[in-house]
Amino acid sequence: MARILSLLRRLYLTVYNWAVFLGWSQVLFLAVKTLKDSGHEHVYNAVEKPLQLAQTAAVLEILHGLVGLVRSPITATLPQIGSRLYLTWVILYSVPEIQSHFLVTSLVISWSITESIRYSFFGMKEVLGFAPSWLLWLRYSTFLLLYPTGISSEVGLVYFALPYIKESDKYCIRMPNKWNFSFDNFYAAILALGIYIPGSPHLFGYMLAQRKKALSKSKKE
Amino acid sequence: MKVTVVSRSGREVIKGGLELSDSATVADLQEAIHKRTKIFYPARQRLTLPLPPGSKGKAHFYHFLGYKGEHIKHPVQTYALYYWCFHYFKRIMETFFVHRFSHATSPLSNVFRNCAYYWTFGSYIAYYVNHPLYTPVSDLQMKIGFGIGLVCQLANFYCHILLRSLRRPDGNGGYQIPSGFLFNIVTCANYTTEIYQWLGFNIATQTVAGYIFLVVATSIMTNWALAKHRRLKKLFDGKGWKT
Repeated sequence: MARILSLLRRLYLTVYNWAVFLGWSQVLFLAVKTLKDSGHEHVYNAVEKPLQLAQTAAVLEILHGLVGLVRSPITATLPQIGSRLYLTWVILYSVPEIQSHFLVTSLVISWSITESIRYSFFGMKEVLGFAPSWLLWLRYSTFLLLYPTGISSEVGLVYFALPYIKESDKYCIRMPNKWNFSFDNFYAAILALGIYIPGSPHLFGYMLAQRKKALSKSKKE
Repeated sequence: MKVTVVSRSGREVIKGGLELSDSATVADLQEAIHKRTKIFYPARQRLTLPLPPGSKGKAHFYHFLGYKGEHIKHPVQTYALYYWCFHYFKRIMETFFVHRFSHATSPLSNVFRNCAYYWTFGSYIAYYVNHPLYTPVSDLQMKIGFGIGLVCQLANFYCHILLRSLRRPDGNGGYQIPSGFLFNIVTCANYTTEIYQWLGFNIATQTVAGYIFLVVATSIMTNWALAKHRRLKKLFDGKGWKT
């Protein structure tokens, strides 16, 4: 019974990781192609659907961590997924005026390269039991460039979207109501920007530590 | 025409008044007020005209903190204040006179973490409970909520008394299996009663902020309770363990 379950787990994770890998490769391909053919203003429209699908699928990873299907601590994955979903849905999808900004291109390219490497890395591990050393190196080195470019793009897009968020009443909940709750999208965006200040060094530091661990381990083998 | 804007207490809200054209509408007046005061956009204004002479009441254009209508204070808001302060007063007294700690000190960094936690949630909840547009629940619901809260706080106090008696005053800490009262049902009855007293508070005050606080506090205490239960199980390995 345990062997069957373990096999099912491996099959499921293989399908999951390669499926999401395909999604992100599609995003990368479309982004570069559209940039070349039509210019940065049109990149969002070209990548919107595969981006939303691939990024939202990551919610499953919280579930994987909670039920113990994978070993990653959810404290590391939650802030990452949180910021990704926030940018994808609350900013990009909900603020049409920001969709033609050039930072969308840098954002989408940073994300799709990182995620294509990450998902193929996990996909290989599930199928082969290990990942080739060049992929290991890519997984733990490209973030050195792509985290700063990605995070700057995220912060920039939220910042430039602020005036449009302020004007709009979207997602805002006003008092009075029977649950005595309110939500102001504009101030939440400012809070989100604030969280990047401790959040980014924390995530980057975590990846640096992971890099040290992973690359020194492979040297010993 | 010159328009004076005055609060109910008679204070001029806009010094020197406003100059408006003779054909100006109320909407124009609201815009002009908004321009001068910045924070009072039209939806936050309630304007009334002075009453004709001889009629009862006072002449007023009025504003109150920019919110429409009177500032009504509900009894539940006062009770919530008393309840909240009583809860933390009780905690402080218990810390001094009831609890026996296995470690008499804790790291300084805890001060920042704990204060951030309590003060952030305290202000987040207080903002909504004391909001000018706060909507109270029914009188019955409020009474039930505070009733549950007070009963559970009493039970919680008794749990603390029982836990205290497990350790000697000179004591070197150490762990014992608690028994009696609710400890016959759950290992950490003190946490159980604490959780339910916050539930009572929320039933009475009904804010999303309060319920978020309840969820966070419950998950923290649940983690502690599970850890303590595991620790006791390992220590006592089946001995003295009632099922």
